[in-house]
Amino acid sequence: MAGLALRHIEKTFGRTRVLHDVSLEAGEGEFVVLLGPSGCGKSTLLRIIAGLEPQTHGSVHIGGQCVDTLPPPDRDIAMVFQHYALYPHLTVRENLAFGLKMRQEPKPVIEQRLAETAALLEIHDLLDRKPRELSGGQQQRVAMGRAIVRKPQLFLFDEPLSNLDARLRASMRVELKKLHQRLGTTMVYVTHDQAEAMTLGHTIAVMNHGRIQQIGRPDQIYHEPGNPFVAGFIGNPPMNLFEGSYRLHQRELEFRVGDLTLKVPFQVHDPAGTDAGTATLGVRPEDVTFDPPGSRHVAVAGTIDVIENLGGDSVVYLIVEGQPLVTRTSPVLRQHAGDSVTAYMKKIHLFINENRVPLPSS
Amino acid sequence: MTKPLRPALLSGILLAVLGSLCPFLWFVLTSFKSQIQVEAIPPTWWPDGSVGFYASALIEHRLLHYIRNSVIVAGATTVIALVVATPTAYALARLRMAGKAWILGGLLCVAMFPHIVIAGPVWQILERLGGLNTHWGLVLPYVSLTLPLAVWILTTFFQELPFELEEAARIDGCTGWQALYRILLPLAAPGLFTTAILTFIYAWNEFFFALLILTDPEHQTLPVGIALFQGEFTMPWGEIAATSVIATLPLIIIVLLFQRGIISGLSAGAVKG
Repeated sequence: MAGLALRHIEKTFGRTRVLHDVSLEAGEGEFVVLLGPSGCGKSTLLRIIAGLEPQTHGSVHIGGQCVDTLPPPDRDIAMVFQHYALYPHLTVRENLAFGLKMRQEPKPVIEQRLAETAALLEIHDLLDRKPRELSGGQQQRVAMGRAIVRKPQLFLFDEPLSNLDARLRASMRVELKKLHQRLGTTMVYVTHDQAEAMTLGHTIAVMNHGRIQQIGRPDQIYHEPGNPFVAGFIGNPPMNLFEGSYRLHQRELEFRVGDLTLKVPFQVHDPAGTDAGTATLGVRPEDVTFDPPGSRHVAVAGTIDVIENLGGDSVVYLIVEGQPLVTRTSPVLRQHAGDSVTAYMKKIHLFINENRVPLPSS
Repeated sequence: MTKPLRPALLSGILLAVLGSLCPFLWFVLTSFKSQIQVEAIPPTWWPDGSVGFYASALIEHRLLHYIRNSVIVAGATTVIALVVATPTAYALARLRMAGKAWILGGLLCVAMFPHIVIAGPVWQILERLGGLNTHWGLVLPYVSLTLPLAVWILTTFFQELPFELEEAARIDGCTGWQALYRILLPLAAPGLFTTAILTFIYAWNEFFFALLILTDPEHQTLPVGIALFQGEFTMPWGEIAATSVIATLPLIIIVLLFQRGIISGLSAGAVKG
């Protein structure tokens, strides 16, 4: 039984269409991340799942049941908001109990759930405080507690960690992962942070301009991005993307961008059926090395523009025939700006007509 | 704030406070004088502390009767204005609808009409409805005159409350109305207090419509009552001063009481971020 299924969701505000034919499935207990830049429609999609916003077309199924006509309280969901949305005039205890009280749960049940949740999140000491007396991280815990205490069928998270500082965010990320492992409930998590998406998600749905760009496991999204947008969005520093023209020869592909010509020694089947045209070529910074790797690679000669030493590794900005090329190498590179170097591209991504063309990797 | 500025600012504040307090102080002093002191030329500054004017205001001029009328009219106006303005402001602040700006602008225009312009129509309408010389006949125009301001203040307050709170309440199982009175109203309490105070003060002080609509002393409110104190041959300044002190006291007490509510409400942090 599917935890959540979205079928052909469309949403328009006035004349602006913010979601185009979005379909998505999440299995029972799966952790799905909606990832995309701000304004891509991911939060709107989450609000549609919650029932806070009606969709223009399409249908939402939770636990196998169509919930299109159900108001938010009847959808058996809980949501954690970006700004926590704790009720400021109620204590933590009252905040946690509010949803159960509204559902007229008997008092002993409320007490028991409160105790369980407080134990799980280690917030016993905070129960009698008001939200304004809590730190950001504590407010975050209470906000999660308010969702957990209800034992819903589906959790919705709307950028819940974006208001925390970097260190706290990292530790809450780990806690969230533990929490999911312990509860085993289906979760949908909206974020623009690729690190959160990669570490938390079983499945990532990358969105842009109201469309799902790619759905896949984190490693699939990283290693086999379906289009240049996904390729450029995931990875830090982002993938080097070159827009240029290609020509197919017998055993190799020749790619030109400005003065730079790359001879890619991989056999390529041109999906368009032509043997020349425009294409986007991508290479991840971590797939560029300064030592010759195995047999199949593309070597380029360039000069070092800037070196950023990060301790364990370094990010090197090269200029190759007038084109910028970012590399990330480990260990730290012992060379200086202005030096001439040869760099080797181990793995290349090719996109023709915005679609990935599979290349056998070395 | 730089040091040399402070004395200048402080003296400015003192001047403003003294300036506004002066008339009030004068009639407080007058109310405790005797008739001889009131009429003395040159005027005497310090009263001899007699409470004769208070006694005569209370007994001869039926002060309590006017106070009762004013409490009924101002109280009813405040309650009705709040009950109508709250859902209106909530809708204006929250719902997506066309012409919101026009509605708010229209309200503001209505509030700007000089009272004298609408006096005739109001009198005629009330005459037809049988509202002349009744309390509700005065409450009705008071409510419509105070509503624009009340709606404006409350709309601003509701707009400042984060939308996420309501959505959280919806997901926790509230209907729209439940979210309004369980979550939003407690948080908008400072706005409700402010609106209530302003409405009450307006209705308590209003003179023009009260004079127009209430010709029968049975229903007259305090301001009208005070104005009609004047006898055939004398101006009872002492009684007027005593009554004015009594008329002002409830306002001061109310403001001081509600001020606490306002401050504690404002200091409640709603949402981080």
